[in-house]
Amino acid sequence: MLEQQLINGLTLGLIYALIAVGYTMVYGVIQLINFAHGEIYMLGAFFCVTLITAAGLPFYVAMLMAVICCALCGILLDIIAYRPLRRAPRLAALITAIGMSIFLQNLALIIWGSRSKPFPRASLPAYLSEQALVMGQVGLTWLQLFIFAVAIGMMVALFLVIHKTRTGTAMRALAQNRTAAALMGINVNAVISFTFALGSAMGAVAGILVAVYYNTLYPTMGYTAGVKAFAAAVLGGIGSVPGAMVGGVVLGVAEALGAGYVSSLYRDGVAYAVMIAVIVLRPSGILGRAAIDKA
Amino acid sequence: MRLKSWKTTLVFVCAVVLAGAPALAQTVKIGVAAPFTGPAASYGENIKSGVETKVAELNAAGGINGMPVEAVYFDELCDPKEAATVAPRIVRDRAIVGVVGHVCSSAHLAALPTYVRVGIPVISPTATNVTIGDQNADRAGRVWSFRNVYLDDYQGQFLARYAKEVLGLARIAVFYENNDYGIGLKDAFLKEAAAVGLAVVGSEGYVKGASDFTPQLTKLRGGNPDGLFISGYYNEGALIAAQAANLGMKVVKFGADGLDNVDYIQLGGAAADNTYMTVPFLAAAAPEQAKAFIRTFEEKYRRDLDWMSANAYDAVGLFAAALAAVGPDREKIRDYLAGIDGPEKAYEGITGPTYFNAKGDPEKMAFVKMVQDGRFTAAPRQMR
Amino acid sequence: MGHLNKRLLLLPGLALLIYPLLPGASDYVLHVMTLALIYMVLAMGLNIVPGFCGLLDLGYVGFYGIGAYTAGLLTIHYGLSFWLIVPLAALNGALWGALLGAPTLRLTGDYFAIVTFGFSELVVLFLTNEIWLTRGPLGLPGIQPVTLDLSWLRPDWYFEFYDKAPNFYLAALLVALVFFVMGRMEDSRLGRAWYAIREDPLAAACCGVNILHYKVIAFSISAAIGAMGGCFYARWSMFLSPDMFKFWESFLVLCMVVLGGLGNIKGALVGATVLVCLGEVLREVLAAAGLPPETRFMAYGLIMVLIMRFRPAGLFPAIAASGRANPLLVVLGRRIAAGEFSGEKDDARGTSA
Repeated sequence: MLEQQLINGLTLGLIYALIAVGYTMVYGVIQLINFAHGEIYMLGAFFCVTLITAAGLPFYVAMLMAVICCALCGILLDIIAYRPLRRAPRLAALITAIGMSIFLQNLALIIWGSRSKPFPRASLPAYLSEQALVMGQVGLTWLQLFIFAVAIGMMVALFLVIHKTRTGTAMRALAQNRTAAALMGINVNAVISFTFALGSAMGAVAGILVAVYYNTLYPTMGYTAGVKAFAAAVLGGIGSVPGAMVGGVVLGVAEALGAGYVSSLYRDGVAYAVMIAVIVLRPSGILGRAAIDKA
Repeated sequence: MRLKSWKTTLVFVCAVVLAGAPALAQTVKIGVAAPFTGPAASYGENIKSGVETKVAELNAAGGINGMPVEAVYFDELCDPKEAATVAPRIVRDRAIVGVVGHVCSSAHLAALPTYVRVGIPVISPTATNVTIGDQNADRAGRVWSFRNVYLDDYQGQFLARYAKEVLGLARIAVFYENNDYGIGLKDAFLKEAAAVGLAVVGSEGYVKGASDFTPQLTKLRGGNPDGLFISGYYNEGALIAAQAANLGMKVVKFGADGLDNVDYIQLGGAAADNTYMTVPFLAAAAPEQAKAFIRTFEEKYRRDLDWMSANAYDAVGLFAAALAAVGPDREKIRDYLAGIDGPEKAYEGITGPTYFNAKGDPEKMAFVKMVQDGRFTAAPRQMR
Repeated sequence: MGHLNKRLLLLPGLALLIYPLLPGASDYVLHVMTLALIYMVLAMGLNIVPGFCGLLDLGYVGFYGIGAYTAGLLTIHYGLSFWLIVPLAALNGALWGALLGAPTLRLTGDYFAIVTFGFSELVVLFLTNEIWLTRGPLGLPGIQPVTLDLSWLRPDWYFEFYDKAPNFYLAALLVALVFFVMGRMEDSRLGRAWYAIREDPLAAACCGVNILHYKVIAFSISAAIGAMGGCFYARWSMFLSPDMFKFWESFLVLCMVVLGGLGNIKGALVGATVLVCLGEVLREVLAAAGLPPETRFMAYGLIMVLIMRFRPAGLFPAIAASGRANPLLVVLGRRIAAGEFSGEKDDARGTSA
């Protein structure tokens, strides 16, 4: 049973990690908690399903298109909601983020209706719904392996983008000091837009994976996932991309083990208790840089 | 100066709000309080489609005694605080003679003090919490809130006996939603299971809106159950059935009316097969008028009729009957509804005869239907 | 500002206070106004932490819930009087505030925010799952309304706050009380210490302000006020359920504080009024325009974005107004505006403060 619970937790955790990366990247660059990120994740799932059912595209194409659409949405979100507030107090942007989150959620409610939708199974490659591996009581589906592969692949790609490309270097420069970066000739707004696009794309992938994995999507799905992923991002050390990944996995595994061994009613409680304990012991998250505390 | 004009606008808007509404006495209005946004919005949609159908039907027949009927929708998100705010808004409009709602028991309980204090009859098509029956009387002992859905405890007991006697199951795993509906149902089930000697190998909970149930199911699987009691609603129920199948659990699934929605089959896919559920009516055994309704409904909304819509349809029907008999007067309507207190006076709706006991709770029969090859059918064996 | 502004605020305020006495007063409007008053209490309470101390608190609703359930349970099981329960609930809130704050207030920025968030989720989970105590998701119905027993003065002076109007005045009284206390606190040594911490913790520590000590005090007072709000809410709504204390409420109160103007007590009042009324006004206006109810929250979110877009510092951007009115700063501001320091950088400070 323990092995099964670990697999369950890992799947969940990797999905959290994918969403958390979006939070952490935006935070790293402009110190904004982008609470509308959960809605991008929801939009990703809905775009993908709409492209499959309405336009009849095959799964992988629809997935790619949905991710691109979400990346554009991310850029748009930044331009409409956050760019005008770059110089405003930090909390103002937080409120705009909440406002956009409410707006997008209810927009989706109007467009797609409130009923939970199933993911169009027929469009999925057949192998995904088969068991990949059964060892006694432990089972692993191809779908889970697919999620592992996509999540880890995206993370590695992201790491390479941040550390090996010029734009990635610009992002890191921006995270350190925006004014200095601007003085070095970096186009600040373009880089921020790129960050939003990248984060939103990761969120969209997570949304699609979740919709496939659980075979359901609904307009409010972004809220819970967004909140959990935010917790994961902070747990791992906000602003740190590997941290978001570790945080997501820790949170997912804590949740699964909590539900399995402590009490299913305190499932989220175990996750949050672990989170609080970790943060109290390591005040800047698991992999976060120690902030210089003036006090 | 800018500040001042802004304030003028605010004052103006407030004035408009205060002055609005009391006009047009000709139409009879029925308030519908349900969640149309937020996580529970799909339940509100069910209610709305049932109400809409009945109202359209009434108006097509020339209204009630010549008065056209209008449904006024109030969104309360299944949130107790919103419900408590909406309630005085509803009772303020004197043209509203009755309320269909609320969907969630907690919202209903929060709104109830206002309805009871001001005096407006309410029929909830879905709120199953047993406590409502103790909170719905005013100080003169008059009951203002009725419901045409049966209570949690009745279905729970019924299911325990059905699982043991008809389905012949021996080891049951219980998976319940951690809200008033799920817990009430589960408790009644567990009690009756102990009484009839049905072994319960595990009992786990989940929260509404969750989508990952594998940790709990993995734990339940350890008990080797042959039956899985899903004490919750269809959205989560379908995912539970699917994830149980993914984990390789071969179990008979059963639940109460909460599972009865075509979305259960749509979301659950093949895993939804072999699920039994209690329902207040069976389409196959329905009276002729009900069949006509079911046809209209399915044509209009392109999905199978669910119990929420059916109950909402009947709730409006109850109000229509009262209005036809006593006219648009809140108090008289209440007296009329309270007067439906025995099987001989029962209102014949599409969900079978409905009548209320002294607490405003219904006494209804339960039928069982099941999912077979991706469709709802009547279960081969019913139980009396 | 100043005189004119004060008089402008006073007039509608008085009008609103008289409103319940008018013969045509609507229960609905009274209900909304009372709700706004409750949120004013909450917003003023929350304001202490992000507004005065500069710490982001996402778990405020936890204390609100603790207060509400303390009041609800004490009323149902022991039948205690409201006037006794208010201090008890406030004390309980403060206790939990101190318990949570003491180990976690050392955390910086968003780490603290997420811990408070986790705490409020734990509170909700506790309320949901400990059925033996709170009846869990079944809710806590049948809480008696507030009573005022003065029969020892005159035999017939026994009042029950069953109708909307008395509850409205009670809530107004509560707001006035909290407002007064906040005003005194802001001008006290305590308030100045908080401002110092917010502006520059290092400088504050150098001046001998025990930072953790003052932060814990701030957090506890904020929690106590939240609990008081919850206490009144319990007796007024006569029903409690864990759903009422979901994370979303923390957000809402935070929005009120920021929208009104962070750190400004009056701003918190305005923010609460605006957001509570906005929801109701939209309900009416959109319904009258024939739009479906789903558009209500869409408009709500959009308006929030627009307000922030055009008034990024809130409706009353008087954050530490007293400080800015300082003659030294005024002169400095003028010199900056005149471009005397144009070579200077204004760095991350402006964006991340």
